[in-house]
Amino acid sequence: MNPKVTRRRFIKGVVASGAAATTTGMWYAANGQDRPGGAVERLIRINVNGQMRSVDVAPQETLASTLRYKLGLTGTKLGCNRGECGACTVVVDDVATYACSVLTHSMKNARIETVEGLESPNGDLHPVQQAFVEELSPQCGYCTPGQVMAAVALLRENPNPTREEARHAMSGNICRCGSYDSYLDGVMRAVQLG
Amino acid sequence: MVATSHDVMPDIELYQPTDEANALALANTLGSDGWLLAGGQDTFGWLKDRNKAPGAMIELTQIDAWKGIRETADGVEIGAVTTLTEIANNPIIRERYGVLAQAAGVVASPQIRNVGTLGGNLNQDARCWYYRRGLDCYRAGGNICYADSPEGLNREHAIFGASRCVAVSPSDTAPTLVALDATMVIASQNGTRTMSAQDFFIGPDRDIRSMTALDDGEILTAVRLPAAWANAEFYFEKVADRNVWDFALTSVAAVMKVSGGTIEDARIACGAVECVPRRLEAVENAIRGQQRSDELGARAGELAVEGARPLNYNNFKVPLMANLVARAVRG
Amino acid sequence: MAYMHIGKDFVPPDVPGKVTGRIKYAEDYTREGMVYSRLLTSPIPHARVLDIDASEALAMDGVFGILTADDVYPDGEPQSTGLKILTNEPTLVGEPILALAAIDEKTAETAISRINVTFERLPFVLDPLDSLAEGGANAYPGDQNTFVFRQGFATEKWTEDQVASFRAGNEPTAEAQQTWSLGDLEAGFAASEFVYETTFTTAGYPHHSMEPRSAMAYWEDGKLYLHGTSQSLTALADGMAPIIGVPKEDIVFINAATGGGFGQRARANSIPSMAIPAKLSQKINRPVMMRITREEEFTIGGARQGFQGWIKAGFKPDGVMSACDLYIISDNGGKGGGGDASSAADCIDVLYQPDALRFRGTSIGSNTAHRGAQRGPGQNQIAPIIAPILDKAADALGISRLEIRKINAPRNGDVAGPRQTPFTSAYVPESLDMATRQFDWEGRQARRRQRNGSKVIGLGLGQGYHNAGRSGMDGIVTMGTDGRLKIHNGVGNLGTYSYASTSRAAAEVLKMPWENCDILNVRTDNHLPITSPQDGSNSIFTNTRTMFGAATDMLNKMKEIAATDLGGDPADYDVSNERVHQIADESIGYTYAEVAQRATELGGKFTGEADLPEELAEWTQISVSRLAGSAFMGVYHDPRHEGNPPGFTVTCCEIELDLETGKYEILDMVTIAESGTIVHPQGMENQLVGGAVWGIGLSGYERHLYDPQNGLPASTGYWQSKVPTYLDTPVKIGTGWVDLPDPENPVGARGIGEPSMGAVSAALTAAITDALDGHHFATAPITADMIINHLAGTEENAAPLAQNNFRG
Repeated sequence: MNPKVTRRRFIKGVVASGAAATTTGMWYAANGQDRPGGAVERLIRINVNGQMRSVDVAPQETLASTLRYKLGLTGTKLGCNRGECGACTVVVDDVATYACSVLTHSMKNARIETVEGLESPNGDLHPVQQAFVEELSPQCGYCTPGQVMAAVALLRENPNPTREEARHAMSGNICRCGSYDSYLDGVMRAVQLG
Repeated sequence: MVATSHDVMPDIELYQPTDEANALALANTLGSDGWLLAGGQDTFGWLKDRNKAPGAMIELTQIDAWKGIRETADGVEIGAVTTLTEIANNPIIRERYGVLAQAAGVVASPQIRNVGTLGGNLNQDARCWYYRRGLDCYRAGGNICYADSPEGLNREHAIFGASRCVAVSPSDTAPTLVALDATMVIASQNGTRTMSAQDFFIGPDRDIRSMTALDDGEILTAVRLPAAWANAEFYFEKVADRNVWDFALTSVAAVMKVSGGTIEDARIACGAVECVPRRLEAVENAIRGQQRSDELGARAGELAVEGARPLNYNNFKVPLMANLVARAVRG
Repeated sequence: MAYMHIGKDFVPPDVPGKVTGRIKYAEDYTREGMVYSRLLTSPIPHARVLDIDASEALAMDGVFGILTADDVYPDGEPQSTGLKILTNEPTLVGEPILALAAIDEKTAETAISRINVTFERLPFVLDPLDSLAEGGANAYPGDQNTFVFRQGFATEKWTEDQVASFRAGNEPTAEAQQTWSLGDLEAGFAASEFVYETTFTTAGYPHHSMEPRSAMAYWEDGKLYLHGTSQSLTALADGMAPIIGVPKEDIVFINAATGGGFGQRARANSIPSMAIPAKLSQKINRPVMMRITREEEFTIGGARQGFQGWIKAGFKPDGVMSACDLYIISDNGGKGGGGDASSAADCIDVLYQPDALRFRGTSIGSNTAHRGAQRGPGQNQIAPIIAPILDKAADALGISRLEIRKINAPRNGDVAGPRQTPFTSAYVPESLDMATRQFDWEGRQARRRQRNGSKVIGLGLGQGYHNAGRSGMDGIVTMGTDGRLKIHNGVGNLGTYSYASTSRAAAEVLKMPWENCDILNVRTDNHLPITSPQDGSNSIFTNTRTMFGAATDMLNKMKEIAATDLGGDPADYDVSNERVHQIADESIGYTYAEVAQRATELGGKFTGEADLPEELAEWTQISVSRLAGSAFMGVYHDPRHEGNPPGFTVTCCEIELDLETGKYEILDMVTIAESGTIVHPQGMENQLVGGAVWGIGLSGYERHLYDPQNGLPASTGYWQSKVPTYLDTPVKIGTGWVDLPDPENPVGARGIGEPSMGAVSAALTAAITDALDGHHFATAPITADMIINHLAGTEENAAPLAQNNFRG
């Protein structure tokens, strides 16, 4: 066995560059010393909303944790932390993904988009966001970022879906307020806003 | 007594091999301490609950050789870490093995299919809630089954093949692979072996701690679909409470060669009725050479559920399974 | 009436924040030095804590301290219903025993695993009927199983025969805890041509709001800053202050948005867990974040009460419901409280106006999730039970299913309920007509029970009701010298946008362009008036009254200032285009900026320093006193209204049910509101479609399972609770509204949130029953397995009327 990556020193300290960097980085216990080499290093770079971010990431850390607690991107919500609700949906390489159920370390070569990255540089809302505002799609709003991201991924793959296709594509997102109808109205309007 | 939800993973090491040799070496070295991680959609709940505590995860999804859908001399080979979405949308699978595309397309939810893999779907662990909750049941190494007891909540459990454990095979794709007579490709540092899908899934009578024939150090790397059953007549149906996220209450996958309304050959398997996909050989034998009809379907349904032993709350699975098999057969 | 704002769509100011992810929920906040708490919750359904040994945990690096029930209740735990902040007497699995704070969650979780709690196990019970039977275990401390209003915990027992007889389908013979009746029941049944009698059961199930009830707290300069989650804003803070033990003037509750509130986040005593970070923060002197997990949200988030009931209804030959007799055992879960059953009877009286009605009810505890208000508590449980009975009567009497509902419908001038309260207005026949017309109910009758292979069509018609309005609250508006209107709104932001739509009533009074209005809400140090909690569909009615009143007070003050300064009588003045001016000569007047400037100069009553309404609530007084003198102010205390402002709904639906799988598809659904003037059409539509999804869940899916062997909850997450998804609900739900004004509200509005669910549940259950040739399961939900068993003639070994378990 010839691991491509050699294990370097255990990285200590806070290296998160986000606004919400916490003190948690100092409290990881070193482990796995008796295991084979080649395990992941903690300091990685990931592409979030078009920017390369350097982050200290525990091996078992989910993308949702990194986004929320290391990068301060709290638009990504934890509704269940189990892949059973969709509130944490982000877009990874154009594909809707539950951020609570993938490891950040699996994202090293990926393009991650969160709800914070959708607006244009001049502040204009993404057509999906604009349509959701116009249709008053959200109710409590907690599932909304996930619904937005699922719709964004759908419209990239299928810019002109039928309502039925949209319904299936959005179906990995629970809305406990039951605003499904209003979200579908929003998706169909987003198609027009294009 | 188990405590309630933790929802915080403990420290676990992570390996991300990018070639087969490296992955197999890690699997070999780490043995049962190394958790094979594909899409992870059935992994992180276990770890967050701290009900499974592997020391390390070996991520398999960066190994290109184990990804993708390839035509071979004898059919099609699907890499084990190919996503369910890719399988559901793949033109070859849709055209020739539509039954698998259909099953892959109704697993859980779109996002889970986007990340979840075929191998992960086939290797996922039992969904019995007692087991998932970390109770000390047989499957968890204890000596009790909470589900198969006078008061057990066993609506979703097995009506066939119970042996201490009454959990069912939760996979939507597994019955289709059994029906398609797929071959499983299993690699380890000692080489590669193959076995039929039907043999791959094992019941609690053989190993109560595992739902597949994989040994420590082995990795499912691919699934081969034989040309013999390409473009056959297919039927797949999954009945679940909800139309998203739910596991089947019962599912059926049928693969048939039909000519002029006559069933020349057939393979049928049901999901969620036994710890393994339940192959219905008696039904297959009974319908071979017969003309498809409502009567034949009804007879097939009756035959399918012969010997069923329902528990407290899953009597309904008997007529449901009979109905689904009848639908598959009658055409 | 032509309104400038009422009845028009607008963009509530928090919507952009919701689509961009910028709006903050409690767990999105962070604070310098913040530490993380985790809960140790009871693994046992009924126990007493004998000892807590946290020494090993407290010795760990990065652990800052723990909080126990002894810390929060030094004088002993209150003997009342409802969850405690922390407890040494858990009566359900998952009840918080202690909280621990550490540098991060992982450390906290590991530390918690090193705490040794010694429990004394006590007998537990999961089904109220098991507890009611002599010798059955009791759910509450002190071996008690019920809570009697104004008396306290008690024990209620039936003989085993009485329980068995009820389970066998008979009328309960034991005396009920609570009884009320109207009319002559015996005469009513004597006059009946068709009498239907059945036992029934409805499942309790969790709220499962998307946002777990996380909270973060810190103390600064003697003030508590609490970032939390609630349906209500000022009402929550007002109630939370005494729970935490902080003076009302020293709590700042910050709650820009709440990820769903369906009853159990309305009042402080239903969400006492928010006191945990507040108390822990006080103890360890650091900001504390308490993230609540989905499973914890299940166990402490509360659930609907399940019913085990018996109903007998009689109908005269002309279709009039002549008598209804109702007996309900309600499952009050692990913490007691709740009055759903009586509301169910009240709902029948409202919607069907029977000549006679008797309600008997007994509430019994079980060691399951605590129960409390959930969207239409009582009204909505009975909706799926009663609708098929109406249909049976209609079919038996040869009356159409629409006609029997119109015959019995409440109208203007009718009264209902134990106190025979008159409606403020009621247009139910109009609603039935509108819904059936929009749905083409008559035209579809030809398809009723039509077979297509294994599939069959079912049609259903349903009605919903909830009382939808309160009064007696306060309103504050202010205007700065920039002439902008500031609407101080204490209504919570739970997703209905009522905080914004009620604010529109103030803008309406002053004819103020919406873009020149600012809503002050989000945090209570924005000087907000008290409101009623945002539950019971009351907000639109209650708070348009207060907003309208406060703005009217400002309007009158404008006129007074203008008349004093510019001559004439206040009555000679009106407002338009952000000016107060003489009616006769519009050139004589002040701009709003000018009149606000004058008000500030004049002070006194114009700036809230004098002549305040005497009845202002303590909370409002604090807010007004802090604002006093700073700006032109309108302030108002709303007097009590007369009568019952109702919210009504009607739903029609068509389903196609597969007789081989027990699954059905909702092909079409139309749901209509009758809730006075519509203030915000898009918001109304959201309430209707949202309520529909809840109704679909109640009738078809949602469940609350506990393992009889060990009392563990088996349905803690979304997967196992079966919350409906996009693909379990119709592709499109038709909506509409009657839109006739209610005289008790200044803009004619009443609420709708809760009844929007009941009508759908009623219609869907009626449609399932219809598709099955009238087979009445008399239960909610009706799941696929039940339909399959019915059709195959198989059955499960389920206890009849089971609660917190499968029902076969």
